Amino acid sequence: MKRQIPLIIIITLGFMFVAHSFIPHKISTEFFDWFQDWVKAISPFAVSLGIMSLFMVHGTKISRKVPNWQYSVVTLGGLIFTAVAGFVWGTQAGTPYMWLFENVQMPMSASMFALLAFYIASAAYKAFRARSAEATVLLIAAVIVMLGQVPLGAMISKWIPETSTWILNVPNLAAKRAIMIGVGLGMTATSLKILLGIERTYLGGGD
Amino acid sequence: MNQNVINFFNKIQNIDRRYIYIVVALSIIIPLLIPFNSPTYVTKPTADIYKKVDSFAFDENKAVLLSFTHDASTMPELFPMEVAVLRHCFERNIKVFTICWLPAAAPLVDYALNTAKEDYDVQSGVDYCNFGFKPWAIQLPIMLGMGDDIAKAVETDSQGRKVENLEIMKNIKNYDDMNLVIDFAGSSSAISWITYARARFGANIAAGVTAVMVADNYPYLQTGQLMGMFRGLKGAAEYEKLVDVFAAYESEDYPNGRPYSNEIIKETNVPITGDTIPYKYKKARIGMNAQSVAHIMMIFFILLGNIGYFITRNKG
Repeated sequence: MKRQIPLIIIITLGFMFVAHSFIPHKISTEFFDWFQDWVKAISPFAVSLGIMSLFMVHGTKISRKVPNWQYSVVTLGGLIFTAVAGFVWGTQAGTPYMWLFENVQMPMSASMFALLAFYIASAAYKAFRARSAEATVLLIAAVIVMLGQVPLGAMISKWIPETSTWILNVPNLAAKRAIMIGVGLGMTATSLKILLGIERTYLGGGD
Repeated sequence: MNQNVINFFNKIQNIDRRYIYIVVALSIIIPLLIPFNSPTYVTKPTADIYKKVDSFAFDENKAVLLSFTHDASTMPELFPMEVAVLRHCFERNIKVFTICWLPAAAPLVDYALNTAKEDYDVQSGVDYCNFGFKPWAIQLPIMLGMGDDIAKAVETDSQGRKVENLEIMKNIKNYDDMNLVIDFAGSSSAISWITYARARFGANIAAGVTAVMVADNYPYLQTGQLMGMFRGLKGAAEYEKLVDVFAAYESEDYPNGRPYSNEIIKETNVPITGDTIPYKYKKARIGMNAQSVAHIMMIFFILLGNIGYFITRNKG
């Protein structure tokens, strides 16, 4: 029963939503509205589950003093402090919550993303070599697209931004579309397998 | 070949990567600290968004929705876009809504609204409305629901007010009225809007994405499913310029901004040095200086690395 009941729910609701997409009848619209209310009611439980899971994972690490357990203290401390700041003083401008966002989260997140520039520069210098014909094409395309992205490219020649756009519009699109069509077909096949009850791995292993 | 040259290239082939990091850091920091004027060429995908937003100017039957689907990590590229679009809306009296699907994006929406509204006499619930954070789990019902009734789908705004009672909702019912959605993301999340809001209800969709995600979103731009796209910081810089040149333009003939013109934008260069334009409205253009220098450094590194590679390989 642990497998049959979830399977029945998924297959029934799956076909009902397929029907809703193609049959704009009053009953189907009402069913959709009813479903919306249920989703709204269920989604807060996902947040509670996430918080509980975070406390369990990091609480265990702290109590067992596993290597680097201090980071878990920071994680839980950050979670509690931010939540309390939001609940007590609100989330509007000038509150401790917004101060945390502007002075801690924002610079830290941006710094992490900015590290990419350094790694790319180092990798470009050390590894981006014209070792073969394919690598040479890639290298030339990269240089043109990089130049096309900054004003200098257009200042050197109007052909640079135009060639950059062509690279993005033609060879890039051909490859992207091929990948997307493949992914799309795969998704359709998997969705059908789930709807028909053939694909069951999402239910977890064992009875 | 001179032995000294070969030795030099041998040496720099194995240079400590920390020297590269220092050069990259300086090439970014110096242009940010000492801004200089460089031309900003406006491209079609950005101009298309500007023209669409501007077509709603002083029209109380139309509105724009800005969807924030990113966290603070991608702010340097996306935040200037968001501020520029909000500034455009406030300058031209365009109703604007904001929504976000990530908890980490909620303060970001407030920050963008607070930054842009400082210079304008605008009121929440009248000129703009922040729908606030809506969990990802209910994104689909909301996206589809807004096709029938926005107030019913969203229910409350970020301040807990009933959306249906807000003055801004007068004449705004569904995607026919809120006819442009701009999704700001470091991913291809605009696909959801294309799939549900565009395919089913005919809403116009645009995307503001980080430069690394531009290639992924190009197929939708080419087919017209995306009516426009901000392509990284460059797109933000282009929009800042457009707002300066047209929406924020004031003269006796045009007291509330002037209409878009290809000729004017081609001929006009807006200087970013000096205090004429507040820093927050030229952030992307200053950033583009740093990006220009960083790209040139990167190309220089690639060329130097390859010259060294061929010289040492031939010698070997």
